[in-house]
Amino acid sequence: MSLPKRVRSAWQYLFGNSASAFGTLSGVLLILLAVVPAKDYFREWLGYQKQYLRLIHGRGDATSLSRRFQGGLQQIWMPELGVVDRCTTCHTALKEASLADVKTQPFRPHPAIPHKLTEFGCVICHRGQGAATTVEEAHNSTKSWEEPILPARYLEASCGQCHLDRLMGTPRLNQGRDALAQYGCVRCHTIKSPDGVTMTGSDAPPPLQHIADKTTREWIAAWLKNPQAYAGSATMPNFQLADDETRDISAFLIAQSTPYQTHKGTEPAPAASQDTAALQEGTSLYGESFCSSCHAMQNTAGMLVGGNLGPELTRAGSKVKTEWLADWLRDPKTYDPDTRMPHYRLDAKEVGLLIGFLSSKSDSDFLGNTQLAAATPAQVEHGKTLVIERGCANCHAINGVKKPDNFAPELTLVGSRPLERILFAPGVPHTLADYIGAKIRQPRSFGNALKMPQYTLAPQQVDALATALLAQTQLAQTLPVSLRIPGRAPSHYRPAGKAGQLIDDMRCFSCHKIDGRGGDMAPELTWEGSSVERAWLVSFLKNPNTLRPSLIRRMPKFNVTDAEASTLADYIMTVYQTPAFDQETLDSSRFTPADVEHGKELFYGKYACQSCHIVDPNKDKGYIGPTLTQVGARLTASWIFHWLKNSQSLRPGTQEPVWNMNDEDARAVTAFLVAQKNAPRKEAAQK
Amino acid sequence: MANSLAEQLANLRDTRVWRSIFRSGFGPTNLHRALAVQQNVFLHLSSVKIRKRSLSFRVTWFLGTLSLGTFLILVATGIPLMLYYHPSVPQAYADMKDLRFAVSAGVFLRNLHRWSAHAMVLLVFAHLFKVFYRGAYRPPREFNWVIGVVLLMLTLFLSYTGYLLPWDQLAFWAITVGSNLISAVPVFGTKIRFLVLGGHTVNANALLRFYVLHCVVLPLAAAIFVAIHFWRIRKDGGIYSGEIKKP
Repeated sequence: MSLPKRVRSAWQYLFGNSASAFGTLSGVLLILLAVVPAKDYFREWLGYQKQYLRLIHGRGDATSLSRRFQGGLQQIWMPELGVVDRCTTCHTALKEASLADVKTQPFRPHPAIPHKLTEFGCVICHRGQGAATTVEEAHNSTKSWEEPILPARYLEASCGQCHLDRLMGTPRLNQGRDALAQYGCVRCHTIKSPDGVTMTGSDAPPPLQHIADKTTREWIAAWLKNPQAYAGSATMPNFQLADDETRDISAFLIAQSTPYQTHKGTEPAPAASQDTAALQEGTSLYGESFCSSCHAMQNTAGMLVGGNLGPELTRAGSKVKTEWLADWLRDPKTYDPDTRMPHYRLDAKEVGLLIGFLSSKSDSDFLGNTQLAAATPAQVEHGKTLVIERGCANCHAINGVKKPDNFAPELTLVGSRPLERILFAPGVPHTLADYIGAKIRQPRSFGNALKMPQYTLAPQQVDALATALLAQTQLAQTLPVSLRIPGRAPSHYRPAGKAGQLIDDMRCFSCHKIDGRGGDMAPELTWEGSSVERAWLVSFLKNPNTLRPSLIRRMPKFNVTDAEASTLADYIMTVYQTPAFDQETLDSSRFTPADVEHGKELFYGKYACQSCHIVDPNKDKGYIGPTLTQVGARLTASWIFHWLKNSQSLRPGTQEPVWNMNDEDARAVTAFLVAQKNAPRKEAAQK
Repeated sequence: MANSLAEQLANLRDTRVWRSIFRSGFGPTNLHRALAVQQNVFLHLSSVKIRKRSLSFRVTWFLGTLSLGTFLILVATGIPLMLYYHPSVPQAYADMKDLRFAVSAGVFLRNLHRWSAHAMVLLVFAHLFKVFYRGAYRPPREFNWVIGVVLLMLTLFLSYTGYLLPWDQLAFWAITVGSNLISAVPVFGTKIRFLVLGGHTVNANALLRFYVLHCVVLPLAAAIFVAIHFWRIRKDGGIYSGEIKKP
């Protein structure tokens, strides 16, 4: 029988009369409907659950594992958080620590975290689609879900949705948040924390109202062209300006500059000492004054040495005018009332030595290619237009240019920006994290007309910034307020009176934190009065010596007078007292030699304090904590006692371990430490 | 076996209970057949007798029957879908996700509803075209044509109201655009839109209104008009099967 004939006969058989057609069609429909339960049966997650049962089958603890295993669709449901997470349907072993050796997903146990897995579910931290029960839909960006799993390197962003404070466990998030403030991101972009606090910059962009007195037009033009060519550590980004643009902006900046109230006229500017001996003396004065605690300088090996609180000084000689420098060193506030630089009480000779030293730090190559003819009014006008266009006034105070409002897009909710509203540059993977990373790395790759300048950032910094930005989600705004751990509100603390003037004059807040205000380079002083002895404080203010041998940065010597030191000490001893304990709780005069001996045993034995501290310089090797050779002269007995009992309550975040010492032990160790009044200088010197 | 089954059935038909439900007797005559149709609430919508010619595929392409079929599928799938759906803003889209990922055969249920809805719109349109091009709207069937147009409108409204219920972006913007069209009506435009949406924008009230329209008001209206439609087919002389050629 030929094929067409066969087909015809089959057709005849199946659809020949209405009864067989009805039967045939019903049969076909039945088979089609059978697909439905079949698809239900072959769902992905059922396969994974079977796989899991096979995986635990041969293991030693198979019985207890299988008893804890629950088959079927699993979900973590928290209506108040809007959480419906079915991840545990396939990730069956998240809580099974005994499966730590299993490396295949979805069966790996979850690493230890401070939260319970059922406290917040999975998606609040990991993103992805919690309701989904297929691998593709749960993890990836699909047609019906935009938010894929957050790559592990940005995971700390999720912590930042609730934790607005600094967490020990989220270094990358902290770094990112710091960088947002430090690199001036927040000066153009408004970024609000979920608690409504607007982030503020922690950089100190100098005012430019008197710039002509400080530096030359050539330097400004060269700096604008590439700030990193002048100082590798400069925070100012590269605005990628053309030569005529740097020419016109520098012309405008010089033109808008007004003279400032100088010391000129009152006393002559000290002459710069340039001979070799003076240069050497200047170098040591730079070191002795601990300028490098804040300022960095490249050494002969090209390594950057020093702090980052002030600008790098490697090529300072090519930048500043000596008359300005003399004024600046005598009292920085006359030029910039808001500077972080303290008022050193330097005499004319010292100023001269430092000028000589800094002037020698010049680089003729830097200005070599910058030749500028006198500026025309048209150039000045064009320069002003450019300054307004580029938003220079977002950071710098400039005469005649107001600080613009909402200069750049607000980034408060950037972590939830819908992908549909993002224009991706070619080659950038279509995820939010990749977009933010690419935008930070190379802003102009998204279009040459964009204003955002080019930063010089390490890849870790880009990741940290992206992490901090990804924490700015819609979810962070809508989560219950009770979950929010607020950050520290910005403090506007100002100490009063004569001491307050001194604290302001020496810019203590640049490094020390008091009452929530100030930097974190040096110890917090909020409870300093409770902790130290007055006599020690006075001598320390007059001649600060380092307490921590491992630290290179230390407190500079401000050359304060006896009267000033006494005023400051009185104020600190009276005002900066902790309410946590009463100074009278411990009477050090009642310590017996037996107490001291017992304390010594505990110090070296039970608590092994010598691992981090030094009491006997001949024996002890601890370089982590402060040296304790004279601790009895420095700290009060009550402070030591309470510090030993619970240091975290006195200074949260200190590295001192929480000992939870009982009163007896703490009293003995205190007795031993209080006895350490005089440094065994002689032996140390011999050694 | 077959005999005994037939016998049992015959016996069943003779019982008092059977006779109390189906009053027409069982028999081979046309009277019996006519009674069977006439005395049944559902069957009596259609004629007791129809021309064999009007049953052939060529005459109607079965478009009316197919429309009814999709309508029945939509009712049958719509009711279980209602069991899984809450017409509230926070829950509506999550319910779509549940149907997709957690409910047994939820995807099948939703897809069947969706595709049947599309098919119904197409079939009702095709039905009207067929009727139009064959001239079946002419007297005495002009009233039934009007009913048919009303049913087309109801079908479109059902489709439109159902489109909002998934509460996704597509739904939201489709209804936003659609309801903005309403406001182009002279004088009362914005008032009507306010009435339809229960507000000035597509929001929780609009969702609830559309849900009630989609699940209660419009299906009931459609059922009533379908009944009238079928009843009128009988009254207007059965399905139009073309001009009777005069010899």
